[in-house]
Amino acid sequence: MKLAWQNIVHDRARFSVTVLGVSFAVFLMVFQGSLLVGFLRAASRLIDASDSDLWITARGVQAFEFGTPIEGRVREMAAGVPGVLETSRVCMAFSVYRTPNGKQQVVALVGADRNVGERFPVPDVSGSPEGMSPDAVLYDVSDRDLIQVTAMPAEVEVNRHRARIERVINGYGAFLGVPFLFTSYRNASRFMGVGPEEGMFVLLRVDKGYSTSDVQRSLRQRFPEVEVLTRDEFARKSRSYWTIKTGAGGAILTAAVLGFLIGLVVVSQTIYANTMENIEEYATLKALGASQAFVARIVLTQALICGAVGSILGLLTVVPCIGYAKSLIPWIYTPWWLLLVMVVPSLAMCSLASIASVRSALTVEPGRVFRA
Amino acid sequence: MPNHFLGVEGASVSFGKREAQVRALRGVSQFFERGTLSLVMGPSGSGKTTLLSLLGCLLSPDEGTVFIDGVAVNGLSETEKTVVRQKKISFVFQAFRLFHSLSAIDNVALGFELRDAALPGRMEMARDLLVRFGLGDKLSQEPNELSPGEKQRVAIARALAGNPPILLADEPTASLDAQAGRNICQILRNQVDDDGRTVVVVTHDPRWQEFADHTITLCDGQVEQVEKNL
Ligand SMILES: Nc1ncnc2c1ncn2[C@@H]1O[C@H](COP(=O)(O)OP(=O)(O)OP(=O)(O)O)[C@@H](O)[C@H]1O
Ligand SMILES: [Mg+2]
Repeated sequence: MKLAWQNIVHDRARFSVTVLGVSFAVFLMVFQGSLLVGFLRAASRLIDASDSDLWITARGVQAFEFGTPIEGRVREMAAGVPGVLETSRVCMAFSVYRTPNGKQQVVALVGADRNVGERFPVPDVSGSPEGMSPDAVLYDVSDRDLIQVTAMPAEVEVNRHRARIERVINGYGAFLGVPFLFTSYRNASRFMGVGPEEGMFVLLRVDKGYSTSDVQRSLRQRFPEVEVLTRDEFARKSRSYWTIKTGAGGAILTAAVLGFLIGLVVVSQTIYANTMENIEEYATLKALGASQAFVARIVLTQALICGAVGSILGLLTVVPCIGYAKSLIPWIYTPWWLLLVMVVPSLAMCSLASIASVRSALTVEPGRVFRA
Repeated sequence: MPNHFLGVEGASVSFGKREAQVRALRGVSQFFERGTLSLVMGPSGSGKTTLLSLLGCLLSPDEGTVFIDGVAVNGLSETEKTVVRQKKISFVFQAFRLFHSLSAIDNVALGFELRDAALPGRMEMARDLLVRFGLGDKLSQEPNELSPGEKQRVAIARALAGNPPILLADEPTASLDAQAGRNICQILRNQVDDDGRTVVVVTHDPRWQEFADHTITLCDGQVEQVEKNL
């Protein structure tokens, strides 16, 4: 075991190169992974923020961002279906926003009823000590530069209607490069010029005594002209639309997969090269009577030390880098499990690569020790 | 019939396939008596190293039998061969093959560890061995801080750690100057005289003649001549 440590301590330059290789790989894997995870999360962010069990959308709607109108009476009729506890409405439309100093900008305007869910960004009149007006407009802190509001409340225009921006929220930033504005359903439909005869998304909560899939089935029979999806189904549909059917999402998905593979290849290459560096000494060990297990233990120890130090270094650099990237890519997101999911295969590759390198070199020809 | 302590019988070894095939040994039968120092000489490519690899249980012959400490080792598994090497055989190489990151004493201590991991007092025994070879003041030097002659003495100390009965050396003095070379010859001779070890030395170096009991000359993969030195 002393040999493993001494090799590392002795060949510090070599060790640094190996560690750097591994940390680069871990960095790449975590960064690309965070882009993908963040993109997927952002693609269904508002759907996931609702408390509803079922979403009713127009047929052919692929994603939250591209909702199309349905008849307004669907909501009243759905409310009468057995098992439906509560209904709420959400609408969204690209709209024209005029900043306080008169600049024009396209925004994604989202309107929702208050009961859509605790986490859904809607003006909350009751929960606001400073007294938020029911028609307040909210925007995300990451879209500050696009919204260009310096003090609140700010008088702005949305689709040539007067609107009041009253609050900044966090975590619902632009995902399409177009900032979101959130307001009440009533206010949003006024801005969009939509009457009660029209709707976009109808959200339903199912009574505890009923199974969601039974209610879904009876709603589908009742309203064949619309789509009835569970919240997870719609979220998944939205995510797969953005990642698979759009070029941008496809690029992120491909980059993440390639990043993962490249990371694994870099790790194995680096560790393989590091082990091969001392292969002659492992051959000597074998000639002097060391068992396979003894040699494997030394090689593995060395590889895992390199792997562990490299992984830690990679994580220590990638986390602040992602923090910084957030200002440019607000939807990038690193869940803690991602770190684990990237480090574990890296360490596994370290072990595999080191064992493979020793095996291939030692099983071929033990007689190599006599070559000068 | 010679005793079968160490040797090969009808051993043939070839390398490569088809047209590129090289027959390194062609039916060699040669035994080495316990407690002797034998030289293996011969032109380059005559199969000396190949013979030594057979005796060291590092290579299996295509045909024939290898005896080590009186036992035919042909049928043994890789693991069993490792044990034979661990218990019976040690090597000295032309290129020393010390562990570059370990100090002299740690190199020798590792030799003890490889022979018997449970053995206590490795460091003390390693120090005693090095002191015996006049390296008492170089214990914590690393190999690249030692002269070739010193390196080879450390390597011999490592080889002797754990007291193996057989010592195989391939050109142990080829990288050394005359003075250091003689020193190594004497050390290996002492192993035979003082401790009754069996030593086989492959060499081109005629200086060895006066230290050896026998000289075996190989040519073209066959034994050409066996001389008994006076
Ligand atoms: N691993 C190998 N693969 C292919 N051919 C080999 C291998 N080892 C040895 N040979 C060939 O076998 C023959 C005998 O080689 P060996 O190394 O035993 O010779 P040697 O007597 O030790 O020579 P030298 O004095 O140059 O060390 C040579 O022709 C050599 O090229
Ligand atoms: Mg040779």
